[in-house]
Amino acid sequence: MFFPLFFKECRQIAKSLVYYLYLIILVLFLTSQLSDGDWSDRLTEPKPGQESYGFKESEDETLIMESTLAELVRETDWNSYATYPFMFYKEVTLNDSELAEIEQILFECTGKSFEQLLDEMDAHFSGYDQSTMEGAPISGQTFLVEPAEDLTFEEFQNAMKRVCGIIGKGSAFEPEKLTASEPKTYEDALEDYRALCEKDKVTGAYMRLFCDYAGIMLVILPIFLGATRCLRDKRADAQQVIYARAASSLQVVGSRYLANLFMAFLPVVLIAFLLQSPYLYLARTNGVAPDVFAFLKYSVGWLLPTLMVTLALSFVLTELIGNVFAVILQVFWSFACIALETSLVGEFGFHLEPRWNTVGNTQSFFAQLGQLAINRLFYLLLAILLFGLTVLIFDRKRKGGVFWHGKNSKSRG
Amino acid sequence: METGIEIKNLSKQFGKKQALSDVNLTIERGMFGLLGPNGAGKTTLMKIITTLTKKSSGEVRICGIPVEECKRVRQITGYLPQDFSMYGNMNAYEALDYLAVLSGMEKEERKKLVPEMLEKVNLTEQKRTKVRAMSGGMKRRLGIAQAIIHNPKVIVVDEPTAGLDPEERVRFRNLLCEVAKDRVVILSTHIVGDIEATCERIAVLNNGSIIFDGTVSGLLKLAEGKVYSAEVSTMELPKLREKYQITGMLTNGSLTHVKMIAQTKPLPEAKACAPDVEDAYMYLMQQGGVC
Repeated sequence: MFFPLFFKECRQIAKSLVYYLYLIILVLFLTSQLSDGDWSDRLTEPKPGQESYGFKESEDETLIMESTLAELVRETDWNSYATYPFMFYKEVTLNDSELAEIEQILFECTGKSFEQLLDEMDAHFSGYDQSTMEGAPISGQTFLVEPAEDLTFEEFQNAMKRVCGIIGKGSAFEPEKLTASEPKTYEDALEDYRALCEKDKVTGAYMRLFCDYAGIMLVILPIFLGATRCLRDKRADAQQVIYARAASSLQVVGSRYLANLFMAFLPVVLIAFLLQSPYLYLARTNGVAPDVFAFLKYSVGWLLPTLMVTLALSFVLTELIGNVFAVILQVFWSFACIALETSLVGEFGFHLEPRWNTVGNTQSFFAQLGQLAINRLFYLLLAILLFGLTVLIFDRKRKGGVFWHGKNSKSRG
Repeated sequence: METGIEIKNLSKQFGKKQALSDVNLTIERGMFGLLGPNGAGKTTLMKIITTLTKKSSGEVRICGIPVEECKRVRQITGYLPQDFSMYGNMNAYEALDYLAVLSGMEKEERKKLVPEMLEKVNLTEQKRTKVRAMSGGMKRRLGIAQAIIHNPKVIVVDEPTAGLDPEERVRFRNLLCEVAKDRVVILSTHIVGDIEATCERIAVLNNGSIIFDGTVSGLLKLAEGKVYSAEVSTMELPKLREKYQITGMLTNGSLTHVKMIAQTKPLPEAKACAPDVEDAYMYLMQQGGVC
């Protein structure tokens, strides 16, 4: 019974308008985000004596303080602070008293007045003609502000917390986001190159970026697929005639869930395969043996648990609530999950959508792979649990149990 | 009893409302009619038999199987609900095939039986018609097809002819009689004509209780000598209605031929007449269910 039901469900999904909307949005989003970008230069082995080997994230506390203070001076000068409180950019402008507080914090951290700091900045950028770019510094971050001699990193972090209290959420001054870049050495660059070729086999590095973008869609779009299927019986007034059938609730719900999972996942894998193809060629032309199955490994290991849990939650909420309010609820939840991401690269924790919005950083990725594995296993198990809950709810409804606002109001007797 | 339905002391409550109260019924093979007004509890009883609602107390056995064993009961029952419908974008063949899969039928069996069922209910020409494009009669015929395709021992049909035109209604009744030859068919309805045309045994349900359980002839006997006909002036009708239950009326100019229920001769010119099932039913309801 199961497989005929599964195939029938797949056929019905293939005729669904919601499914085609899902496909269109998914394809448009992924191709628009991932079609640009040529990083073929990363496949060239670095040579000693190059002018630059790029930059890497620094853990040097002094450097972090210097570059963060420089950024704070710059943004205070413009009275324009860039924040991303809910994933989207928001410019914050402060009033005079708030600006005075920021200047006071800068004084406490540097021992210099704001005017002195501005003079230093002007001196750094003097001779820079914006129209011709003559005299431009190599990097905006070469402007650094020296912290006060006796300022500890902990004191600095506390000061930045105060800054966040004035500016608001989502700024670059949040203690957990403080960062700095430092130039890579030849050895750093060579190590990265070898990791890219030997560990990532090129395609792996690209697939992580693919998963980063695809994951955003898979936290939201499958909600509509799940809700559409679960509401279909009610909309067609077919509930009673289906409930009275001999098929078990596990078979009915299982075939629906797995069919939606299959039909939603298939295009993801196909797009991953297609977008990976140019990098297979690139790797081979540079004498590197690519991982041909990277698209499948990353799709299954990284994206499938996200898809499974989104779909399962959609099923359980829609079966429980029985109307489109379930969709609204889950969409809010999904956006919240994305907005609460603390990092765009790594720090997976138990985030629903693991982020890796960069190509490469191979060593950093493999250092966090264990964390990612735990994260994905957690969501896989959660999906199975939610699916089981859906089966129980469906079974109860079949026997006349009614759910109102999440509470089961059993017919008393 | 292994071939029918046994119901003992069945009760069902929805909150404070007593939907069924101490119902006792034995339903054997053939057509069984369940009659009663709207809100009497017929659909609740049907849903309990088809495992779609849990009983509050009592015992219900379908061909010897307790109704709590849902899966086994569903394997041997077919249900045509009052508001039967299926997914609008499926055609008749697809809808029937889908429901047959849900009944556990194998592919080869379905390949043979789906066209046969469509033929039986006269839907072969409409097998590619989408459910959303079907008329009420076509939907009901599809409904009966899905209720019998898996060859159930018990078929429960809830208000099957409501909304059908007279021709469709007759066709449907004939179809039901045909399928009832070797199984239990329960026809739940408030349309007395359906019962009269198809059932030998009936039960009447009112306010959750069985007020009559027996044969159609037994019901008719109850009302013998209680039904009268007379020709009266049309102007007198309102007064007559206030005093007696009018079960039939035929107006011819200023005169109206009426049929009414009365314990004794209501008018000097009235004549006793043989009651039909509708008269008997109305008499029973009037008496408050003493049978």
